[in-house]
Amino acid sequence: MVELQNVSVTYSGGVDALNNVSLKINDGDFAFVVGSSGAGKSTMIKLLLKEIDATSGTVTVNGYNLGKLKKRKIPEFRRTLGFVFQDFRLIPSMTVYENIAFVLRVLDAPLKYIRKRVPYVISLVGLHAKTNSYPDELSGGEKQRVAIARALVNDPQLIIADEPTGNIDPELSYEIVELLKGINDQGTTILMVTHEHDLVRHFGGRIINITNGEIVYDEIVTGTNAEVLPEVELAQAMENAARPRPQYAMPEDIGENNVPYVDDVIAAITSTATEQGGAEK
Amino acid sequence: MKISGIKYLANQGIENIWKNKMMAFATFCVLLISLLLVGCSVLFYINMNSMILGLGNQNEVAVYVETDTPQERVDEIGEQLRNMDNIGSVTYISKKEAYERMQSQISQGKEIFDYIDDYQFMPDGFSVTVVDNEQLRATVEAITRIENIQSADSSPQVAEFLRELRRVVTLIAGAAIIALAAVSMIMISNTTKASVFSRREEIQIMKYVGATNAFIRTPFFVEGLVTGFFSGAGAFFITWAIYRSVYNILMAQGMLINAFGAGSIVPFADIRLYCGLAYLAVGSLVGAFGSVISTRKHLDV
Repeated sequence: MVELQNVSVTYSGGVDALNNVSLKINDGDFAFVVGSSGAGKSTMIKLLLKEIDATSGTVTVNGYNLGKLKKRKIPEFRRTLGFVFQDFRLIPSMTVYENIAFVLRVLDAPLKYIRKRVPYVISLVGLHAKTNSYPDELSGGEKQRVAIARALVNDPQLIIADEPTGNIDPELSYEIVELLKGINDQGTTILMVTHEHDLVRHFGGRIINITNGEIVYDEIVTGTNAEVLPEVELAQAMENAARPRPQYAMPEDIGENNVPYVDDVIAAITSTATEQGGAEK
Repeated sequence: MKISGIKYLANQGIENIWKNKMMAFATFCVLLISLLLVGCSVLFYINMNSMILGLGNQNEVAVYVETDTPQERVDEIGEQLRNMDNIGSVTYISKKEAYERMQSQISQGKEIFDYIDDYQFMPDGFSVTVVDNEQLRATVEAITRIENIQSADSSPQVAEFLRELRRVVTLIAGAAIIALAAVSMIMISNTTKASVFSRREEIQIMKYVGATNAFIRTPFFVEGLVTGFFSGAGAFFITWAIYRSVYNILMAQGMLINAFGAGSIVPFADIRLYCGLAYLAVGSLVGAFGSVISTRKHLDV
């Protein structure tokens, strides 16, 4: 869950990047954050990544109060997130496999688990043929899919995607968002920053518009027609979005590592859906 | 962290050397040159010091015993001298030897002393060398206080000159070593900074996925350690080769050896172990910590 309460950010030069922003994104939400350049989108992302601190207000992400989070606890907090950047940010000296496995290495996951887990995530994003390729050998769309696989591999509660389609062809942009939607369908909260209005119109969902450091629009819209949902449907949609994440047992070989993994989530969701007689969307 | 995790980070460090081979090679060369500069300066100072000490050892104290002292007492004085502090060697010079020396040292001495058959007028004596020239004056005074000693002569000017020379050499060599070490540190720092800077994005990505500072630094530490170790090893072998060549050239100079005393130029075998260990330790530590310190700036993400 992401919650901003009366958050303001003023940079040292006196520039007000965010002005008294309040926002709540529940677990399982898919939210687009839109706005023009300099509107405050990047500042919000930096806040959520704990790159910067709010000048005033409270920022809570995945249960961590970022204003009170000690420096040594930042790595622990970031392990609950997944990031996808416009410029991919893959380690050029590592192969696709190594880039993704690195996240699990950071978590000190067992080698056996990494060997099982990484190929699975690579296949989820459809890149098994490129497992041993280096980032330089991949197209923009493939790089972004690797970045998504990396964001997904430790099954984070929240994935923050900062203009993930900004450096790829328009037709591939739809694929990337489809992929993120698919991940969201499995219960992961997605916060996607974009300025591609066509994409937002096409997919719909929760749209948060930031202008001059303030949220000027925060509604759920249906896809394609960009039509604002009626009040009742909006409330229902919000309620659905706020549904609890499925609970599942931790694989035994993870040991003390308290991080869930997506295949276990998938298994849990599948079994929950079967019990309930179909997946609830 | 599990053993497999530590092994992974160590492997990453070694792999990184290969993956960033140009920067690793640059770091290796800079470290090697820095170590050579500082190492050779230290060795030069050690030898200068040893040569000055060698000169000092040739600064004898001539001890004269009163002429009517019985032989038993002369022997006792010899023992007393040997048991004193700061005494290097004690050589007994009998009346006869002293007489012969005098004859040989004075021009036409043979003719002058030809009519004297008896050398009993000459005093018994000792040629004494001191260990520490700095304490020459105090040692000479202590010798003079021994009963039946007529006089003890030394050349305090020579000792004073040597002391001054040693001070100047220490000062110059010390300043040169410090300056070279400082220049080396700047060179090493810049090279490691450049090496780390080229991988700053890599560090930032690691931070974003939740890697701790220790997790990020460990491969850099291993990388610096290994590069530094090989630089140290390289510097050691180059120093060995240079030192042996210079040593052989100097040892062939008979005059130099006579002036400073045999053994005043330190054979490499005597310092090989210390030299090797110092090079490896300094190289490894400077490489490792230089690398780790350079990452600090990029870790604050």
